[in-house]
Amino acid sequence: MTAPMTSRTLAPSMTTTLEVLAAEIELAGARCILLDRIIGEAMGRLPNEERDRLVPSLHTVDLLVQHLTNLAAFARSLSLATPDDVTAPVEAALSEITLGALVERMAQGMGRDGSPTAGADVEDAGDLDLF
Amino acid sequence: MRFDHPPLEILVVDHDLTTLEMVQIRLDVAGYRPIAARSGRAALELLATCRPAALILERRLPGMCGLELLRTLAASPDWRAPVLLVGRKLAEEDVRSGMQLGVRDCLAKPFSGAAVLERLNRLLTRSTPAFAAARPAVYINT
Repeated sequence: MTAPMTSRTLAPSMTTTLEVLAAEIELAGARCILLDRIIGEAMGRLPNEERDRLVPSLHTVDLLVQHLTNLAAFARSLSLATPDDVTAPVEAALSEITLGALVERMAQGMGRDGSPTAGADVEDAGDLDLF
Repeated sequence: MRFDHPPLEILVVDHDLTTLEMVQIRLDVAGYRPIAARSGRAALELLATCRPAALILERRLPGMCGLELLRTLAASPDWRAPVLLVGRKLAEEDVRSGMQLGVRDCLAKPFSGAAVLERLNRLLTRSTPAFAAARPAVYINT
């Protein structure tokens, strides 16, 4: 049997929950911006006809960046408009997340003490937790 | 947004991994050279070997808080880098104290990557003549 990370049930405010969500979407957007740059650099080394073939895919990444930054803005704005005294039952929702590093970061952001994320390397972020 | 300037080192100090990585990526793509620390002590260790052009500093840090770090830095005659103070619900008192310790601008969390870049560019333009000279009149969207 796996020991729980803490005996305390997480019940952060909806404001905090939305802030954490906004920050994660913003990070996903930043990673897409990085991906966009890498693809752009790689395409610069391709022959013209190959490059032309891939341009629509690059536009999809651009669109994804805008999609994520807009969703992050929405979550940020909603967090500012939400009363502090409304709590969010996040435990079940967090259990849906299969990325180990992501769930740890979010739980820590929502107030879980002693999260193993503390002291972890940035490079660990996004590791897929299969079990 | 991307400015055509030589790669300046920017020290980012934040305990929150999500913010730290997001800001690092945005700075890197914008042409800066980000250096990251997750605590005031770690930042001080890094500052023994590097001289960043600016500091993006979270007010709340484990152990040594952001303002304590600034007090330590302010005691050094070599320290002149402008500071962008970030944090959730920054108190007016913190901002006032920070202003006396090198804080030139503040940004409340949660913030966007675009917002932090805009504030940093503005702060560097005001504080670093070389940056202002290198900055083109027109910027390129990325």
